[in-house]
Amino acid sequence: MSALEPYLEFARKAFAREATYRFEVFTSIGSLLLRVYVLRSLWTALYAQNAAPASIPLHAMITYATVALLMSLVLEVDGTRGIRERVREGTIATDFMKPIVLPLYFFSDGFGQTLLHALTIVPALALALLFVHVDVPSLAALAAFALSFALGYFVNFFLNFLMNVVAFWTLETFAVQLTIRWASDLLSGQIVPLDFFPGILGRIVENLPFAAIYSTPLRIYIGELPPSAWPAAMAAQAGWLVLFATAAAFVWHAAERRVVVQGG
Amino acid sequence: MPIIETRDLRKVFRTVKRTPGAAGALKTLFTREYVERVAVEDVTMALDVGELVGYIGPNGAGKSTTIKMLTGILVPTSGEIRVAGLVPYAERKKNARNIGVVFGQRSQLYWDLPLVESFELLRAIYGIPRERYRANLSAFTELLEMGDFLRTPVRQLSLGQRMRGDFAAAMLHDPRIVYLDEPTIGLDVVAKEAIRTFVARVNAERGTTFILTTHDLADVERLCRRIVLIDKGRLIYDGTIERIKEQYGTHRTLVVRLCDTYPQIEIDDATLEERTGDLVRLRFDRKAISADQLIRRVTERYCVSDVSIEEPELESIIRRIYVEGYTAPGTSLAPPAPVAAP
Repeated sequence: MSALEPYLEFARKAFAREATYRFEVFTSIGSLLLRVYVLRSLWTALYAQNAAPASIPLHAMITYATVALLMSLVLEVDGTRGIRERVREGTIATDFMKPIVLPLYFFSDGFGQTLLHALTIVPALALALLFVHVDVPSLAALAAFALSFALGYFVNFFLNFLMNVVAFWTLETFAVQLTIRWASDLLSGQIVPLDFFPGILGRIVENLPFAAIYSTPLRIYIGELPPSAWPAAMAAQAGWLVLFATAAAFVWHAAERRVVVQGG
Repeated sequence: MPIIETRDLRKVFRTVKRTPGAAGALKTLFTREYVERVAVEDVTMALDVGELVGYIGPNGAGKSTTIKMLTGILVPTSGEIRVAGLVPYAERKKNARNIGVVFGQRSQLYWDLPLVESFELLRAIYGIPRERYRANLSAFTELLEMGDFLRTPVRQLSLGQRMRGDFAAAMLHDPRIVYLDEPTIGLDVVAKEAIRTFVARVNAERGTTFILTTHDLADVERLCRRIVLIDKGRLIYDGTIERIKEQYGTHRTLVVRLCDTYPQIEIDDATLEERTGDLVRLRFDRKAISADQLIRRVTERYCVSDVSIEEPELESIIRRIYVEGYTAPGTSLAPPAPVAAP
């Protein structure tokens, strides 16, 4: 308990800090509602033109897009950007002078921020339901979705972590960030379901790590993945999670060595 | 037994050599040549518990490199370090519990939250027992007069207030050693004095050991008895301020206000430093002539309305050492090394 206390406190402080930007929270809900509305109109129009794959009916598509947007409230919070900022400002040196495990610090800080944004999902969803219909799956599917979402959250965390730790070597990571962010947005299934990618491309994309972030939980949610396929899908997510966590540990170790040898 | 001990401490940085021009840039991409830069060379020193030492030197002398090695965030290339019995880089987190750090240029407080929230976070980080925390917080709040802004977000604090907050933050966990890096930079005289008084009191009352790195030698003169001078990575002086003043400051200045105008001022054993109106500054070596004798010589020849003697300031002595280099007058100044150098 006492070993975890600092990290709980970090999360609490990050939550409180994030809450001081109330305006940002409200505008993010506003922008989300606008996006929900635009996406509903867009998909309705596209389906009217028969431009969609047969596997997903319109109501499921709108559910997919809306749930994806709500997920993005949580997943787009990048707690690890603190690493990049602190490396650039040089304050990372003082962090190393504290008796804490730094990656855990960045995780709990990010988690605290995430928690605040997660709270905004409730009002955002309530408002969204005013103009879109969202399917609600079975309780079992909801539970599986939650678990799969959690796995995706960690995959996303470690991916962000890796991207930001690059700052120890290059200081400026903007180009890397942008490329990976762009790839992730498109290839994770956040914008369009991966079923839209044709043939072999679709199969490749479904097996990339990005799919573990949005696509897997969403396919569970809309019922595209039958319960029999859940264990394998989540095992794949867990696989990516372990791989990225290992890579993160390895890269962090190298970053730490770099600081202590080169002086940051 | 000393609380901080270093022996033959050395740090060499290796950086990639860059060749100028486009061809050079291409070359650096494929073949790497390294340039070695010695930041700290053979630094041997020992600090006792409760000492308050000024660690000074020009920019790039190796001060922060030394401090980084003492805090454990930098591994020495060679040599030994012990801080409160620990090897800092090998046991960085354990060492972190023994030390506090204040940087004048960067804050460790949470920018968006009220000051006291940062303190609470530090309580959790160091696992400070609640009672100890409460006692320290109220003591520091009083000493640093932070009562008015404990609940103010850090971003709204003035620099002086923020620095006071940073000092409290560094000391809440009762560190045995505190490193101060330019702690008074940019502060006004009142804030500077408040900080200095605080450091002196914590040092006296709690026996905390301080290493003060600064370019403000007034801080050093006010707080430290001992200074360690470093230049180009090497220790060039380790001893009391008095001693360096005695050795370097044999020159004094006699300031004389004349009550008559004289076309020329000339006194044996003294050199005319400056003359503005009726104010004359005469530099003299107190080994060649005593102040008493000099005043007599001046008053015998000229009509004088006022005299005063200026002692050399540490600042001017240090400036001279930076420019001319340190040459120990007479005997060697380095304190006896714990082990005879080969």
